Amino acid sequence: MSGTRRQRPDGLASTPPNPDAALSVRGLTKRFGSFTAVDGIDFDVPRGQIFGFLGPNGSGKTTTIRMLTGTSGADAGQALVLGEDVLRHPERIKMRFGYMSQKFSLFEDLTVDENLRFYAGVYDLTADEFARQREYVLDMADLRGRENELTANLSVGWRQRLALGTATIHEPELLFLDEPTGGVDPVARRQFWDLLYDLASRGVTLFVTTHYMDEASNCNQLAFIYRGRLIAGGAPHDIRRELITEQVVEVSVGDVNRALQWLERAPGVEEAYLSGARVHAVLQADAAGADPAGTVTAALRAAGFGDAAVVVVEPTLEDVFVNLVAREQGR
Amino acid sequence: MSLHRIRLLMWKEFLQLRRDPLLIRLLFLMPILQLILFGYVVAADVKNLPTAVVDLDRTSTSRALDASFGASDYFVVTQRPAETELQRLMDTGQISIAIVIPEGTQAALDRGETAPIGVIVDGSDSQVASVGSGYASQIIARFNADRMAAQGVSVAAPGIDARVRVMFNPTLASVNTMIPGLVAAIVMISIMAVMGQAVVKERERGTLEQMFVTPIKPVEYLIGKVTPYAIAAVVQLLVVALVGIFWFGVPFAGQISVVVVGLVLFMLTSIGLGLLISLVSHTRQQAQQLMMLLLLPSFVLSGFIFPIDSMPAAIQPLSWFIPLTWAIQILRGAFIKGSGFEALSTQFWVLALFAVVIFGAAIVATRRRLTE
Repeated sequence: MSGTRRQRPDGLASTPPNPDAALSVRGLTKRFGSFTAVDGIDFDVPRGQIFGFLGPNGSGKTTTIRMLTGTSGADAGQALVLGEDVLRHPERIKMRFGYMSQKFSLFEDLTVDENLRFYAGVYDLTADEFARQREYVLDMADLRGRENELTANLSVGWRQRLALGTATIHEPELLFLDEPTGGVDPVARRQFWDLLYDLASRGVTLFVTTHYMDEASNCNQLAFIYRGRLIAGGAPHDIRRELITEQVVEVSVGDVNRALQWLERAPGVEEAYLSGARVHAVLQADAAGADPAGTVTAALRAAGFGDAAVVVVEPTLEDVFVNLVAREQGR
Repeated sequence: MSLHRIRLLMWKEFLQLRRDPLLIRLLFLMPILQLILFGYVVAADVKNLPTAVVDLDRTSTSRALDASFGASDYFVVTQRPAETELQRLMDTGQISIAIVIPEGTQAALDRGETAPIGVIVDGSDSQVASVGSGYASQIIARFNADRMAAQGVSVAAPGIDARVRVMFNPTLASVNTMIPGLVAAIVMISIMAVMGQAVVKERERGTLEQMFVTPIKPVEYLIGKVTPYAIAAVVQLLVVALVGIFWFGVPFAGQISVVVVGLVLFMLTSIGLGLLISLVSHTRQQAQQLMMLLLLPSFVLSGFIFPIDSMPAAIQPLSWFIPLTWAIQILRGAFIKGSGFEALSTQFWVLALFAVVIFGAAIVATRRRLTE
């Protein structure tokens, strides 16, 4: 198994980077003045996987991508991208990966066709290759018949798919996606992930940053970055199971805010936070007992929340994440 | 470096330029507007000055002098008041200039002495004051020369005192100094302002970020970005120069090579300034404000609009730090005086220094920024 474990003594840090992996990173560090944006991270991404790189805004996700794409240098560490040392020879891999950012990076004042033509030219596609890829992108992005429309006039979902098309026009082996679904509605997000699965099934490695926790479940591998350090990693279900040994209960109640305040101070509750319109509470392992839902319901009813309904839930990745961040902050 | 990718970037830039109404307006309307403004409005400002002649001498000489003022385009003799009336006429703006011919002028000249003539100018408009008094001095000088020629005396003989001598631009036609200045100003606006805007726009939209994860190299990007605007600037300045020479009759006395070298150095400086502005601005509005902050003092302090010599002594050294000052001196020198590299060597060295320092700093800073 690859991925990262927090402070594992036999972890990746002591092994040399793996040239067979799509991405192999050891001790990668980036400082801006006295601020360490990325602090000695290690991870491996096997080829053909969807790797989810998660973390709150400003945690170092984009900085990491910039180092891995060769647009920014590193202050320490090693990074092999498709087997090449990207920190020393960034130009060697530029033809082999694609990149799509949260801004979709299309030229809004160029037409669909002109955008495609530009990126095809940048990657030195032959006329035949371009003709073939153009057809593919137009079908994939559902833009047939709109080739001469200005990109600015497309709605977000179409623009996003066109951006994916331009980022993959040269059929890269590896694709970086930096918050690719920002500002896109849930239906378009679903469609977009179908396209990503399609790419992965054809052997393309995907490195995706996101802060949508539901999207994280779509990945084969996850790594959580917080304040520049990796605090957890692994397959989504392993993370859920291994990192939350405590029980999580979901509380539905009329007065959510007061219930949250009460739960935060209640004995046996490690943590309480809003999850949508409900409250999630992480119970201390010894306090949960045989019937955690019953115990919490009784306690809430006794405290005056007569309408409280409590169920034990499988921790979501969001629970995991909130929990991890809380642990980091507590240290 | 790939020529193919540079061509591609230029193609993209031209397409974008064509679709940006703001930039198109800046590129095409501005030179036309400036030609009209500076060619007609500014150039026409010292014609038909309302003039008063106070003839206290009342002799044939004084009447002839009076007539020579009336015969010129620059002055219209509207009043012949008493001397005591002058203050009021000047105060109320009925006249801009007054010529006072003192009693005994002809007698003094006949005795072979120097005869002073009073020229009183409304100084509230410095343009009128300096140009108007210049014209007046010239008319007096010509009158003097004619008078002596008629009498067959040598030029060295005393006559009416007119010490001002205007060289190279004897009519002081503003358009002759404006057009060469305009050529330099257009380079600055087109390249610095417009290209700077284009770079900021690209960063604002995130396409800049995208560009550098592709095989495009920073140097290819820079060449692809700068070339279209340099071409646009060359087209603009050719139009301005040709309209200036053929329509407004601006003389071109110099060597083309002097103009070309001067413009190339100034273009490099402008490219550098544009890039530096784009590096520190996050939005187009910010860039625009910074441009104004640079353009305004450049236009005011470079001698483009106001002569440097008429600025307060304490301000004058500021103009040395403005690249436009030196570019304008080179262009005016080449156009009007026909000066060569030797005569303009100081200006060329200073401009070359600006080009090396500013362009160099911009390239280094841009490269660092792009690879940071």
